Amino acid sequence: MKFKKFAVAAATSLVMLASAAQAEDKPVVGLIMKSLANEFFQNMLEGAKAHEKQRGDYKLLAVGMQNETDFESQINAVENFITQGVDAIVVAPADSRAMVRPLKKAMAAGIVVVNFDVALDEEVKKQQGVNLAFVGPDNRSGAKMAGDALAKKLGKGGKVVIIEGNPGADNGIQRARGFRDTVAEYGLDLVDSRTAHWETEEANSVFSNMLTAHPDIQGVMAANDSMAIGVVKALESAGRDDIMVVGFDNIDAVGPMIYDGRMLATVDQFGQAMAANAISMALEVVAGGPDLEGWVTTPIELVVGK
Amino acid sequence: MTIQTGDEVAQASGNFSIRTVLHNAGIGLALLALILFFSIFTEHFLTANNITNILTQVTINLILAVGMTFVILIGGIDLSVGSVMAFASVIAGKAITLAGLGPFEAIVLAVIAATAVGVVCGAINGTITARWSLPSFIITLGMLNIARGAALQASNAQTIYSFPLAFEDFGSAMFYGVPVVFMVALALVFIAWFILNFTVFGRLLYGIGNNEEAVRLAGHSVYRYKIAAFTICGLTAGIAAVVYMARLNISSPIAGIGFELNAIAAVIIGGTSLNGGRGSVIGTLIGAFIIGVLANGLILIGLSDFMRQMITGVVIIIAVILDYYRAKYTRR
Repeated sequence: MKFKKFAVAAATSLVMLASAAQAEDKPVVGLIMKSLANEFFQNMLEGAKAHEKQRGDYKLLAVGMQNETDFESQINAVENFITQGVDAIVVAPADSRAMVRPLKKAMAAGIVVVNFDVALDEEVKKQQGVNLAFVGPDNRSGAKMAGDALAKKLGKGGKVVIIEGNPGADNGIQRARGFRDTVAEYGLDLVDSRTAHWETEEANSVFSNMLTAHPDIQGVMAANDSMAIGVVKALESAGRDDIMVVGFDNIDAVGPMIYDGRMLATVDQFGQAMAANAISMALEVVAGGPDLEGWVTTPIELVVGK
Repeated sequence: MTIQTGDEVAQASGNFSIRTVLHNAGIGLALLALILFFSIFTEHFLTANNITNILTQVTINLILAVGMTFVILIGGIDLSVGSVMAFASVIAGKAITLAGLGPFEAIVLAVIAATAVGVVCGAINGTITARWSLPSFIITLGMLNIARGAALQASNAQTIYSFPLAFEDFGSAMFYGVPVVFMVALALVFIAWFILNFTVFGRLLYGIGNNEEAVRLAGHSVYRYKIAAFTICGLTAGIAAVVYMARLNISSPIAGIGFELNAIAAVIIGGTSLNGGRGSVIGTLIGAFIIGVLANGLILIGLSDFMRQMITGVVIIIAVILDYYRAKYTRR
């Protein structure tokens, strides 16, 4: 009798404890971003914070990095999240190879890991025996959409140049590949391809020089909009309105340029929603849903003027 | 060794001697050789359009390098100029896009804002460096992060755009094929040259670089002159911000990453000693052109980005080695 009473009391207190813990401990999601100095990721972070507030059923811990190449801080962030015992880690890896091992450790600790924005390297995943889905846009086919819009205007043999992102940055590489896909498919003449490190002023200088070397350029494919702005300014200074420019990202500053035709097109990959979507998917798995598999592509859209 | 007064030190190292003219002629010859090389090996290098391009592309680095010359002459360094330029451009961008301002008021406000940010950041660098006799390398490294963070914070990492048309016109204005913004830079070179050669202040800066203690013993306030040198450097970062905005019609919190290194390279290639006390702003002018002509010409030749980066590095190292020999053979 006494024992039964004790057991009931114990059980109730346990239940109370558990529910109290649950009320306080909504699932915790650790979000690991890339450089928050990048407009794109800053918007993404804001989208995620709005999402947290709107849903209200999870707690968001977000970590960014100092700059594009500071991937060590991402690895540290994963380790800290493991220590804190988060329920899910949603990560946009700065390095598609270096991040595999720490994420494997997180999965072994029972944390749901969702990889978004930039896919982890398939080879390394195989090597480490990690099976992890990717949620994100196809940068390569996005760039090809912008490139195709340009190619359709120029026709076969059109002379184009590519302004690339940071050498070594995965999204930059994918976008350059997408542009080259266009070049191959439409038989364009790629006269030069150079990096301007994602930056407006550098793109302005680099493109001015390319234009001097190749005055017969007809089209420019820039791997992001910041660089496209630099190209547009270079064309204005050179007094050339016969050269078409496409960019990528659809940042606010190119709105007027698309509108008045100084830029032909850009690509929107809905960055603001991207982290939020990835978090929703992670929460579904945390709640007992099936594991994600393969490549869950997120929408991309070509933005053109009227 | 006898102790010289600050003025004597300054005069002894005076940069108006035949020796210095020879220094500068050396780098000038290197620049001429580069120009000759690219003129022969590329068909577009020596065209009016390309020269205009080079002048435009040299402008921002030249402006930053003029300020940097002051700091390096006193034996300091300023690593923060690229970030300070970005911060100044963001604050000025906020000012220029304020609702309800006429275009003229907006531009004036932006120019004041940019230069004020530059001056304040420079003065902070100088005050802390001088007050506690700390290495400027570390203090300005701190400022590099502070200003970059502040630029990102103030702009929320967004590009600021849509400036008054008159401002864009200024940024792209030409005077007989010479960009007006370049003429601003050239005017700054001239003003700096005048200050460094013909004012007591300028000659004392050389003196501080040569022998700080001597200048102090001669009864001058080294503290104040150091702050002034860093403040001038900050001011040029603010002016560079205005030029950046006028030229590109945006303010970007990620502008100017690594610009400090290009500015330092221009100063050093121009023959100013990293140890201070020796060099000239005319050398800096030539140094900035060597960097600009290289960047331009190597693209025209069609060299890959990576090769281009390597060659720029090689040129910097060669310049410093040449400087070693120049110092050795022209020493009294």
